[in-house]
Amino acid sequence: MSQPTFEAVNLTKRYEDGVLALDHVSFEVHPGQIYAMLGANGAGKTTTINIFLNFLEPTEGEARINGVCTHTDPLAAKAQIAYVSENVMLYPAFTAMQNLEYFTRLGGRDHHTKDEYHRVLERVGLQREAHDKRLRGFSKGMRQKCGLAIAILKDAPAIVLDEPTSGLDPQAGYEFTQLLTALRDEGKAILMSTHDIFRAREIASTVGILNRGRLVMQRSAAELGGADLEQLYLEHIAGHAA
Amino acid sequence: MLRLLIIKEIRDIVGSTKFAVTFGVCSLLVLLVFIVGARAYHTAVGQHDAAKRENLRRMEGITDWMQVHDMNVYMPPQPLSALVAGVAHDIGRTVTVEGRGELTAHDSRYSDEPMLAVFRQFDLEFLFTVVLSLFAILFAFDAVSGEKERGTLRLTFASPVPRRTFIAGKLLGAYLTLVVSLLLPIAAGSALLIVMGVPMTGDDWVRLTLIIAAGFLYLGVFLSLSVLVSAMTTRSTTSFLVLLVVWIVAVLIVPRAAVLFAGRAVDVPSVDAVAAQKAKFSAGLWGDDRSAMAAFKPSKSGDMQAVMQEFQQMMQKLADDRDRKMREFASRVNEERRNRQDVQEAVAFGLARITPAACFTLAATRLAGTSFEMKQHFLAATERYQKAFGEFMVAKTGMNPGGRMVVLRVVVGDEKKPEPINTAEIPAFSYAPMQVADVAGGTALDILLLLAVNLFFIVGAVAAFLRYDVR
Repeated sequence: MSQPTFEAVNLTKRYEDGVLALDHVSFEVHPGQIYAMLGANGAGKTTTINIFLNFLEPTEGEARINGVCTHTDPLAAKAQIAYVSENVMLYPAFTAMQNLEYFTRLGGRDHHTKDEYHRVLERVGLQREAHDKRLRGFSKGMRQKCGLAIAILKDAPAIVLDEPTSGLDPQAGYEFTQLLTALRDEGKAILMSTHDIFRAREIASTVGILNRGRLVMQRSAAELGGADLEQLYLEHIAGHAA
Repeated sequence: MLRLLIIKEIRDIVGSTKFAVTFGVCSLLVLLVFIVGARAYHTAVGQHDAAKRENLRRMEGITDWMQVHDMNVYMPPQPLSALVAGVAHDIGRTVTVEGRGELTAHDSRYSDEPMLAVFRQFDLEFLFTVVLSLFAILFAFDAVSGEKERGTLRLTFASPVPRRTFIAGKLLGAYLTLVVSLLLPIAAGSALLIVMGVPMTGDDWVRLTLIIAAGFLYLGVFLSLSVLVSAMTTRSTTSFLVLLVVWIVAVLIVPRAAVLFAGRAVDVPSVDAVAAQKAKFSAGLWGDDRSAMAAFKPSKSGDMQAVMQEFQQMMQKLADDRDRKMREFASRVNEERRNRQDVQEAVAFGLARITPAACFTLAATRLAGTSFEMKQHFLAATERYQKAFGEFMVAKTGMNPGGRMVVLRVVVGDEKKPEPINTAEIPAFSYAPMQVADVAGGTALDILLLLAVNLFFIVGAVAAFLRYDVR
């Protein structure tokens, strides 16, 4: 099999106050795969993402992007990551186009034309008349679309999504999921944390359930088969898996 | 990448409401300073010309040079004094010059306009020290903490952005915005000076440019401090409160506290005490001379003219001796006071220089020629004039007036109607304001301190941000 795009190797994080947020978590995400991390609040999903983005350093283990360790060579690792947060926050005084141009160029991609920016914004579902409006009046859904447009334009092999559909209406959530599927089909590796079991079931190549920092279950879509993911989740979260 | 970050920072600041408000207010205030300065200059010129005319008018009708006892000389108004007042309004603008005796300046501008003493003049130094430094804080207090609150920091650092480059972009972007947005009204204000007929010389323009450059260096201190504090806090309200407290201490408290402390630490005899010492000494001398006068006995009697001449010669000698002794005594007590004052000033300024506000004030007033040296410079010019005036009077009358001299003159019958004296013959007082070459060297310490503090805060901001939690 090809080299994994995301690679967590015995990832462990103990905070200064002694809380063990991650306990020897290992997983891989390959190109063309979506890895959905499920878990309750405080399970370790965001800590995992923060280590991949080098916002935190692991206490033990390594997080790698295409073989590059995120805490020993963070800039090289970040050059290969695009990130969409739960609540995409952009510069309110800038227009959607200006935000897009700034963050795309910040990601090292400064060859795009204005037409390409417009096309990508239209692709993520942001209507043309909103492209040159300031972000001040944008809804959360519109900002999420801008965030995804930035990720697309950055054209990174690895995409990290932190609760991307949280708070979106069903229509916006559906459109977002469709876009993720399309990106997966283009060969992107996607690491996503979510509370949305049904959407995870729908699009994930692999589902991992985290509980109190431990990866208590990890199954591919094929392994899941027709199993009831909600039942599995509740069993593992309750700590009495079969 | 640095260019991208700088442009983003400039756009972000310029697009904000706080910039629109601060830029508008700053522009108005800067223009106001130049307009007020130009008007103050013209008012001072009017007062100066009127005083000079009045001085000559009081000599109208005098037909004998012996009746000219003194001349009033006036400090000519300087364009830069109107823009950076310094001590210009506090020290006397007039010196009454006799042919001999100690010179003191009197008639400060506050004696004409006491309300100025209460609220002080709204000048360029006040604008930079108090108003613009606050605006510099407003520009950058949320440079880092605000981005963290808004959530943009997390997205930014999901990209391969080196932290040093990011903080350099913050500093340079904010600084460039501040400088350019202030240079526009300053340029307009400078043009107003020309339009309003303020006769700025080339040297004045150089000094004004240096004052503004020092001002920007001073604003840089508050800007870099703001970035440093914002890189040590996670909430912009916290960074603003911290900066406000620092600003109050640095701008309003420390300079005054330093003066207060120096006043307590180093005792300097008051002007009145020194004057009393001199008066006592002078009275003693005068008493001695009175005895000498009482003991006067002409060598020849009968020839009244010869007696008077002998008496005048004795009086002249007594006056010369008295003047010499008085000068020596005054010089000694003045020097003692001056030495103590120097120590007191060194303590006060040394302590005050802890804050950049004091460094800028000292540099700006020195560059404008309105620092503590202004009084000495003016008095030195009047002393030179006193010498010229004394020589002129000796040439005219054979005597040097002043110093409580008693002159007796016997007027013999003369049918010719005396002609009034020609006041145009009296030497004119010339005052050359300090030039940039005279003052630039003295500002080096303050400029270096401002540079050092800037550098310290910039390094601090970078160091703080390297450890900043961008989550």
